[in-house]
Amino acid sequence: MASITDCVVEGLKYPFNDIKKLLGFGVLFALISALSTYMGMKSFDIFRSAVHIVESSNSTLSHVPFSQLPTGDIYLVAGLGILIFIISLLIYGYQYNIVKFSIEKKEDLPGFSDVLGMFINGIKYFLVIAAYNIIPALILVGGVTLAGDSSVLIVIALISALLFIIANLILIMALNNMVAYDSIKKAFDLREITDNISNLGWGKYVGIILFTIIIFMIITVAVNFVLSFLTVGFAAVISNQAVVISFVIAIIEGLFVDSYGALFFNRVYGSVYRQSIND
Amino acid sequence: MILDIYKDALEYSAKDWKTLVLLGVICLFSFLLLPAFLITGYNYRVINTAVHGIINGRDPLPGFDDVIDMFVDGVKVVIVQIGYLLVPFIVFIIFAVIASNVSGAASSAIMVIGCILTFVLLIAACLMSQMGLCHMAYNEGSFSKAFAIKEIKEVIDEIGWFNCIATYLGLIIITLVISLVVTALIYGIFTVFGISSAVLGANPSGIFILGVIINSLVTMFIVGPYLSIFNARSIGLLYTMQI
Repeated sequence: MASITDCVVEGLKYPFNDIKKLLGFGVLFALISALSTYMGMKSFDIFRSAVHIVESSNSTLSHVPFSQLPTGDIYLVAGLGILIFIISLLIYGYQYNIVKFSIEKKEDLPGFSDVLGMFINGIKYFLVIAAYNIIPALILVGGVTLAGDSSVLIVIALISALLFIIANLILIMALNNMVAYDSIKKAFDLREITDNISNLGWGKYVGIILFTIIIFMIITVAVNFVLSFLTVGFAAVISNQAVVISFVIAIIEGLFVDSYGALFFNRVYGSVYRQSIND
Repeated sequence: MILDIYKDALEYSAKDWKTLVLLGVICLFSFLLLPAFLITGYNYRVINTAVHGIINGRDPLPGFDDVIDMFVDGVKVVIVQIGYLLVPFIVFIIFAVIASNVSGAASSAIMVIGCILTFVLLIAACLMSQMGLCHMAYNEGSFSKAFAIKEIKEVIDEIGWFNCIATYLGLIIITLVISLVVTALIYGIFTVFGISSAVLGANPSGIFILGVIINSLVTMFIVGPYLSIFNARSIGLLYTMQI
């Protein structure tokens, strides 16, 4: 049986098996980060004009007529939001394929030829993630609206944080289970999921997840450190172009770091599943 | 027995100067964070070779192949060390909280006790974390073995607490002496240069600056890596002394 370290090392090396596909996956992330930076700028514009209208007319935000707002920008932001959502579904679909390849012990990276399949898998992946996060999210939102400003708020926040952690711990195994059987029902077969985890040992399961997170945190911190040097360097050369620089940095990060991280995590989690059913 | 360890470790670390320089280069770039873990990973490899070897055995220095492996090992080492150092830290925090809630003489008394306890625990944590690393390396890098306090305590019992502490003290002394002597030598040489050039009528400040630069270069590329390999090897060999 392979140890935790072997799994993690294997996962770290895996993206280097096919750099082209790593970059292809990275393009999706780069698109998302570039689009969301743009969306952030645009929604800031809308917000600013809304504030301007409110201030000049002495009314509240809910009384501002829609026609007075920059409608073109609002449609643009909405369109961008939908586009980002579709791309992230593709990313989820690709992650689905990574887990699949990992469980099947394939050494190469999944391809991009079957976009429709990726899309459908992405919807499944997204639905499972949403389903697992909805209960703690509801508790958080409901609790905040009901409790208001009292000290109960802290308790509710703690409870929902705990639920979030537990849900996401189980979620990883649930996603694996779904991918392995290629059926969305298996993602909610809690008995089998917990059986799998206790097969591996809860301590080891939590340990391997924490370890992967720590490793990746170190890598991102280091890369961001280097990137921030670059940012400062760029900023010194082309002044007054902060937006351009943040675009460039976002694209670099999406192209290399985010895609690498997604490949690494899903590869390791897939091999965790493989181990949990082996013994 | 302890002297054998030192002798072996001193010879072992001097086996290949290229390794030392390479480690020095990694150390130079360790402000980028990732190389810092490579250094701890390399030390882990040295420990790994030592715990599977014997004193005065002919082990080669570990290589630099498989950088990712080395990085992951380095992260493990750091996690283990942080895990052990958390204990004295938490104890200190607890005492500080208690002391801040008590007034008068009791407060300072509690703080003093807390500080002493923290100091003792800190030393114990340092010793235990080194032994924990050796134990982890011996058991194929299994994380849980690094914190298997009972097994580690048995190992230390077999080696003998006195032997362990004496070895650690010796390590500290040797490390200090070597680094001090090297620094003193370089500064001595450059002081002579500086004085003689001043006598000849030249400005000696340039030579002093050169001395400082050369000293830091030697420390970084030769002495520092040498001492880190030396320490790792000694601790690894100490682990093999159990009967």
